[in-house]
Formats: sequence, structure tokens, C-alpha cells
Amino acid sequence: MTYSEIKGDVVKESIFTKKLSNGLEVFFMPKEGYTKQYAIFATKFGSNDLKFKKLHDKDIAEVPEGIAHFLEHKLFEEPEGNAFDRFAPLGANVNAYTNFNITAYYFTSTDYFYENLKNLIEFVQAPYFTDENVEKEKGIITQEIKMYQDNPQWRVFFNFLKGMYHNHPVRIDIAGTVESINKTTKEDLYTCFNTFYDPSNMILLVAGDLIKEEVFNKVEELFQKQDIKEPFSIIRYYPDEPIHVNKEIIEEKLSVSMPMFYLGYKKIPKNSEERHINLLKEEATVRILLDMVFDKGTDLYQKLYNEGLIDRSFQVDYVCEPDYGHSIISGDSKDPKMVKKIIDEWLVILKNRGLDEADFARVQRKQIGENISYYNSMEYIGNSFIGYRFKNLNFLEYIDMLKSVSFEDVEEELKNHFNEERQVLSIISPVN
Amino acid sequence: MLNLTSEQIADGLQLHTVNEDKFKTNLINIYFKRPLIPEEVTYNALLPMVLQRGTKHHKTSQELAKKLDYLYGSSLNGDVGKKGERQIILFSLNTVGLKYIDDKNLLEDCMKLMNEILFDTLIEGEGFKEEYVAQEKLNLESRIKGRLNDKNRYAYDRCIEEMCRNEKFHLYEYGILEDIPQINGKNLLNHYRNIIETSPIDIVVVGSLQHQQVKEYITNSLKFNQKEIIKIEDDSFISHERPIHEVDEKMEINQGKLSLGYRTNLSYQDPLYPALMVYSSILGGGPHSKLFLKVREERSLCYYIYSKLEKFKSLMMISSGIEVDKANETKTVVQQQIDEMKDGKITDHEMTNGKKALITAIEALGDSAGAMAEYTYSQIVGNHFINPDELIEKINSVRIEDVVMVAKKVQLDTVYFLKGLAEEGGNI
Repeated sequence: MTYSEIKGDVVKESIFTKKLSNGLEVFFMPKEGYTKQYAIFATKFGSNDLKFKKLHDKDIAEVPEGIAHFLEHKLFEEPEGNAFDRFAPLGANVNAYTNFNITAYYFTSTDYFYENLKNLIEFVQAPYFTDENVEKEKGIITQEIKMYQDNPQWRVFFNFLKGMYHNHPVRIDIAGTVESINKTTKEDLYTCFNTFYDPSNMILLVAGDLIKEEVFNKVEELFQKQDIKEPFSIIRYYPDEPIHVNKEIIEEKLSVSMPMFYLGYKKIPKNSEERHINLLKEEATVRILLDMVFDKGTDLYQKLYNEGLIDRSFQVDYVCEPDYGHSIISGDSKDPKMVKKIIDEWLVILKNRGLDEADFARVQRKQIGENISYYNSMEYIGNSFIGYRFKNLNFLEYIDMLKSVSFEDVEEELKNHFNEERQVLSIISPVN
Repeated sequence: MLNLTSEQIADGLQLHTVNEDKFKTNLINIYFKRPLIPEEVTYNALLPMVLQRGTKHHKTSQELAKKLDYLYGSSLNGDVGKKGERQIILFSLNTVGLKYIDDKNLLEDCMKLMNEILFDTLIEGEGFKEEYVAQEKLNLESRIKGRLNDKNRYAYDRCIEEMCRNEKFHLYEYGILEDIPQINGKNLLNHYRNIIETSPIDIVVVGSLQHQQVKEYITNSLKFNQKEIIKIEDDSFISHERPIHEVDEKMEINQGKLSLGYRTNLSYQDPLYPALMVYSSILGGGPHSKLFLKVREERSLCYYIYSKLEKFKSLMMISSGIEVDKANETKTVVQQQIDEMKDGKITDHEMTNGKKALITAIEALGDSAGAMAEYTYSQIVGNHFINPDELIEKINSVRIEDVVMVAKKVQLDTVYFLKGLAEEGGNI
């Protein structure tokens, strides 16, 4: 058996990997001393994938919004009961999530790991959609959508995305709308399943205190029984997305006690080939920059905090995908527009004055420490690892990347990132 | 599973170390135990917020933040919570393990900062710095008002508040809005001194450090100053016949939130308590449960529904998000499940699934430093220590008869429903 090893030197962790003959990439992360075992089986198929075809297909498929998430719900359905029934007697917790780019099914167990693994691989590859059970799910998903409609954090975020993007499907709610859900048919679900749930478009990652050889042997055994189909490529169609934002400011009223805001900057898509290679470096650079400008140790944060304009909910984030990207500065504030004004003014000064090297060293150390601590959780690492892997990136390199970013890289990013023409402010304010 | 050493290192000061080498970080939690009473709940909530604003040597939170960042992003947070009718002030330090970085003094430096925040606080004149107190009062105010932002949680908390309206447990852990104005730097400092001198303190440490080593770090760096330690009463435990309390509240929302509050009439120290855990697991403890299968899967009434025990107060809560006009149907289906359990309609399959879910969760505790610390402290607060292995054994030996016995004790007390304004007059 041949597999290769991916090392994370700083955190003293390794991930072993092998590609099976059906095209599935399998990863195993040993976690000595852990009681839990964890497996995640994921497909590169998220809410953004609404228009696609297999390479040799004649027609392009267009499917209703929210279908990846709908499909995730429906895969749990089995001719007899649901997939939860397989795991519950073994004490395993099984669940799934859908985001913009990925659908992932996973379980944690403390016993009967290989039986659970078999169950996971089986149920994810065995669709059972009927008109009746598709209809039944619509009520459940409608309640899920309504729950999110009442969630101000969710609303401020999606309004932000709608402001940021004109056409890119990332502006559409992951679960779709009550209307799009009601249009969804079992045929749509099968189209998506047959395109995206092929092992060659999937990843399986296992973590826990397990024996490496056994993991790979069992996985291979489980897939050997299946017919091997010819692997195929998938072509995904995304509309053209302008560089400038769709709407600079979006406001909505909800039952909240104080306004909430999301402020952010759209990333210019560089030559996509070139950008892709540097995606991990780009992420590390922007994240260092954001902390150097906005974190608790900065003058800007202190000014906003002391003036009562932000509180401890204030935070930053960066989303970095091959086909889109944006930074996020978010929090609660009695006056989000004043927060924006102060930030805008501050950035003008900062761009003239330049950054501080002592801040750079501080933030770099902070982020290295934080990233080391993420390795306490195999779920967190497993999730992150597959997310990056689908983008052809190696998450275990992230800490090295943090170390390799230079002060000059961050200064350069400062000049480019904060462009008021690519800035969006989303605000949720109280009803009264 | 829990490699725990406990030692009383001074009067009212206990050290508990869980030695575990597999984590990348060391966790040090310092818990101050207080009674949950109106006189001090708001002061206790404000205190950690003010203490984190500055110390004698690091006069601003900016200086403190910079120092912590440089210590490889160590986090040091102070917050409050409630465990039954006790309010807990917790200071939590999380720092990267020494074998992953090149800074051998990391832990000592962190402990020094912890000591500064707790005992070397910034005092101006006769009180805390008024500017900081005033700012944090505003933050506390918006925190309390911000309760309604998370509707799921809000409905859950409001149900408890209504249910326990005549008990201390109704108090919100972040205090009482009306009591904020009376607080100033001076009376908060007096309160602080009282907290430091009279609270029972427990330190729970989870990480690669040995007990003896931790004890040295602590006695060398933390300057505790306890005097007369207060005694904190056990939870009041009310069980009385009264009509079901029904509360409707309206808000501009899309989805109704139904919360049902039950009295279980069973203390966590009761030998039957593990049977109550199994009961709640079968009823609403996950996708294997009756509520999930009947309310969600069979009738598509909701996306989420669960039951949960409030251990110290012997309550059980059921929560769900539903269409407003489906409230009666949902309540009926829930009641049917509760009745089935009373009638002993519980299959072996349900017993196995219910137990397994609990056991896996307990076994998995050992993989999270935070969960181990919380488990340990919960046991200490309850003054009833069961180690996880023992608890698993007790759960395993629960019989259907035990669950039925428990089911017969459970009484519906309060029905709380949060609904939208649009529903007024019956049109949706």
C-alpha cells in the first residue's frame, strides 16, 4: 500500500493520503490519545453550483437555488427510516452541512468506528428520492429558512453579500428561498447527485487514534465492491462579475436591540491562474493586515471602543475563494455609519503613514499561536483541511505561510485592499 | 478517563488539575462562586468587564491585548455564567503548550498577567477608573438589551424566567437593567474587595502540566487574599401543584418559538437522576428521539426541536421553531410523546439509542479541554462528584421501569410562545 505523508512541522501533526482507483482522495490524520474518531465524506458541490454540465454532456443543467442543501437533507432519507437509525445504535453522531462550495457528511464516534464508516459511505452514495419524500422535506426546510430570516447575524451577512456581488451566486442564500424550494423536484435532485457525488469529485477524511494501514485497507475494501465508472470532469458556469460592488450600502430593519453591521472590501480577481497559486499566501497576508489595522491592540480599535461605537463583538474575517473574495469587519454599534466614517478617515492616514513593524511581529505571533490551538479539534482541522483541499491547497502549510509573509507584503496589501469603490456596508437596525 | 488531582491549597481555595498531554494548549480556569441574588448579580456581571480594562502595570486594554498577542495569542477572558442559583465569575486563560513554541517563559508571563487583572487592578482615588466603569456600564446595558437578538435563546430564557418568576433562578446572569445606574467606581471597588475576600474559589487546570508544577506556578504568581469565606445555599427545589402558566409574547418575527418548561421533581443527587438523563435523551436528545421523529420527520412541523435538562434546578425544557398557526398541533404531538413515556411505551431500541447518545457525549468530553474543565467544575458546584466512567456505568444500568418512574414525576409548568405581530387578527 502506498500513501504519501503531508507534514505540519510546527504542530507536530501528519496527514497521510492516497488516491483510490475510482478517483476518491482519502486522508487520514492520526490523533493519538483521542477517544473520538471522526470521518467526513464531502463533495465539491455547494450552493454556488447552479449551472453545470459533465464534460461530455450536450446540455447545460440549471437547477433551483438551494438545491445542494436540499439534497443534503434528502440523502438522509432511506427506504426504511433514515440514516440516523444506522448510527444511533452505535452511539455515533451523524450530521451534515452545506456551504457555498461544499456539502459534507460526517460522524463522530467513540466505538464501532469501521461500522460507522461503512454506514457513512453507504448512505451518502445511496439516494432515495420520491415525489412524496421530496414534498415532505419542503415543510422542514421552510422552517429552517424562516429560522434564518429571524437571525439578524445571518441577514446582515447575506445583505452584505448581495451588496458585494451583482451576479455571482454567492449572493444567494445557501438554503435558497421558500419559492425555489417549492420548485425543486426529485429529478433535479438526481441530476445533481449524478453529477457531483461521483467519488472523483469527493474527499474522505478520517481522524482519530486509529491504525493507518487499517484505515486505508478498510476504505479500499469498502469501495472495491462498487463498479468503477469512468471519471469525468465537471464544468461549472458562473456569470461574469464586475470589479465594482453592486450596492454600497444596504439597510434593513429587524427586531434587534442595537444596529449590527458588516463592512467589507471586494477582492479584485487577478488573473485567476496566478491568483490561485498564491491563494494561501494571499489569505495569510490579508489576515495579518486586518489584525494590524483592526484588532484590539490597535489605535483604531481603541478609538472606536472608547467612543462607545463598538464593543467586544467587533471582529474581522477574510473569505478567499478562487472565483471571489472579500474581507469582513463586523460588529454591533449604535452608529455603524460613524464607524465607517472613522475607519475611512483612519485608512487614509494609515496609507500615508505606513504600518508599524512591531505590530507586524505581534500579529504574526498571535496568529501562529491561534493556529496551533486549532489543532486541538480534529473536527475543525478536518473541515478546514477538506475545504482547502478542494481548492488544491494544503491547510497544514498555513502556519508556514504565516511565517513567510513579510512586512513588505502586508504594506503592499494595505495600498490595494482598502478601496472605497469596492466597499460595502450592510446594516440591520432596530424596528423602532 | 479523567486524570484528576484535587487539593485544597488554602481555606476556600481548591486546585484541580487534569493531566492530559494530547492538547496543543494549557487551560487555566479560575472560578469565583457567588449566590445568584438581585443585590449582587449586576455588580458581578460588570466586574470582569471592568477588570479587563486595565491593571496597575498595563493601564489600558490595548496594552493588555498587545501583551497577550505577543504571548502567542494567549487568551485571557473574564465572564459570568449561572449554575443553578449560583452566579459564577470565570477567568479563563488559554495558552499554547511550551513544546510548540520557542518561548519558555510563556506560562509564567501569562500567569503574571492573570494576577495583575485579578489582584493588581487599576485604582484611581477611592475606586475603579470612572471612565472605564461608565463605558462598561453602557456595554452591559446593551448586552442585557441584546438578549432578544437571538430568538431561539431568548424564547428559552424567557420561559425559564416566567417559570421561576418567584425563584432566584429567574435572574439573568448579566444582571438587572434598572440596577446599572447606581453602580460607580467606588461601590464597584468595594464589591470587588468583597468578592476577592469571601468567594469560594476553584482553579481547574487542563493540560500537559503536572499537579505539583501547577501548584507552584499558582502559589508563586497569584496573590490570593481570601478571608472569611461565605457559604452558598443549595438550590431551592420547588414542587407544587399549580395551574399551567401560559405566556404569549409578540415580536416582529417570521417563525414562532415554542418553549415548554417542566418540573422534573428529581434532584441531580437522586439515584434516579441518570434515568432522567436517559428519559430526556429518548424524548428529545437528538435525531434518535421521539420528538425529532414525530414532530419533525413525520409531520414536518419544524426544523429543530429538542429537550434539555437544567441540572441544578431540576427542570426540563423543550424548544422548537414552528409556524405560528401550528402551535396547538405541535403541543398535542409533544404531549402525546410525554404520555407515551409515562405509559411505558418505550422500545428497547429507543432505550439503546437514548443511552448510547449520552454515553458517547460523556466519552467525548475527554477530547476537549474546555468540556473537561466544565464537567469538573459542575461536579464541584453540585458537591456531588461522579467521575465520567461511573456516570456511564450508571446510565448503562438504567432500566425501562426507571425511565417510566421518572416520566411519572415530570410535570408541565409553563408554556411560552413567541409569535409574530402579523398574526394578529388571524391573517398570515
